[in-house]
Amino acid sequence: MRIIIETPQPNDEDVVIVRCASPDQRLISMLLSFQTAQTELTGYLDDKIVRLNYQDVYYFEANENRVFAYYHSDVYEVKYKLYELEELFTPLDFVRCSKSLIVNMEKIEFLSPLFSGKLEAHLKNGEKVVISRQYVHNLKAKLGIQEVN
Amino acid sequence: MVKEFLISLLHYFVDITTAVLIAAAIYLTISDRQPNSTLLWEILLSGFITALPSAVLLCFDQKSVKKSVLLWGIHFILIYFITLMLIKMFGWCRITPMSVFLTFVAVVFIYFFTCLVHYLVDRKHTALMNQQLKKRYVESEKKE
Repeated sequence: MRIIIETPQPNDEDVVIVRCASPDQRLISMLLSFQTAQTELTGYLDDKIVRLNYQDVYYFEANENRVFAYYHSDVYEVKYKLYELEELFTPLDFVRCSKSLIVNMEKIEFLSPLFSGKLEAHLKNGEKVVISRQYVHNLKAKLGIQEVN
Repeated sequence: MVKEFLISLLHYFVDITTAVLIAAAIYLTISDRQPNSTLLWEILLSGFITALPSAVLLCFDQKSVKKSVLLWGIHFILIYFITLMLIKMFGWCRITPMSVFLTFVAVVFIYFFTCLVHYLVDRKHTALMNQQLKKRYVESEKKE
């Protein structure tokens, strides 16, 4: 594979063009991660405004029209809609696990079933989040498990 | 979403029908009655009729435990009344205080059977998912 880097015209925006016979999923994921890494994620906690590192986020949760990013122990409000965060972060290691929650897979310690038919994700900070039945396939796909239905 | 709903409906249908078959087998053995082919179709239909509200109601994503319990309660009452209605419609037995009580016991049995089957299947799936998670961590540790 050849890598060609060209300088754009003065007023043109930067463009990445992938020219290949069939798209390489790893390459696409890498480019999407790069794009996401450029996204500024600002967290608000009382009077504090903090630049958030998405890798440190355990999960995003929507609650009464507000969206929060949960760190190890702190909770920051973010000015994104949950679906926008889903679009931004699902190419990375984040996965939608209920109508109101997106979890960072890197922060999942282990999973356990619940008698109600849902799953519970035990996070590395000791918290537990519930994964709805209808979103379990997202998690399985991320883990590379093929479903046989 | 439609696909997930249909899969969920199919799972409930299979689980409920199996439990209804077990309950019917116990009842027929105790009452020493001979089943006919119509009964099998009635069991299949009742399995589908009870699976439908299960798939619809239990797909609601409840955040609070209180709302979840309320939804499960509504679901149980709904299934109980649907079952009583089916018993009357198919003429499986006369509606008496005893048959109403036995129906309650049967619905509780079917309920726990379905939940247990789902739980055991989920336990198998989570074991596989945990294995994959562990593999990911080992791979990322190797990279570091």
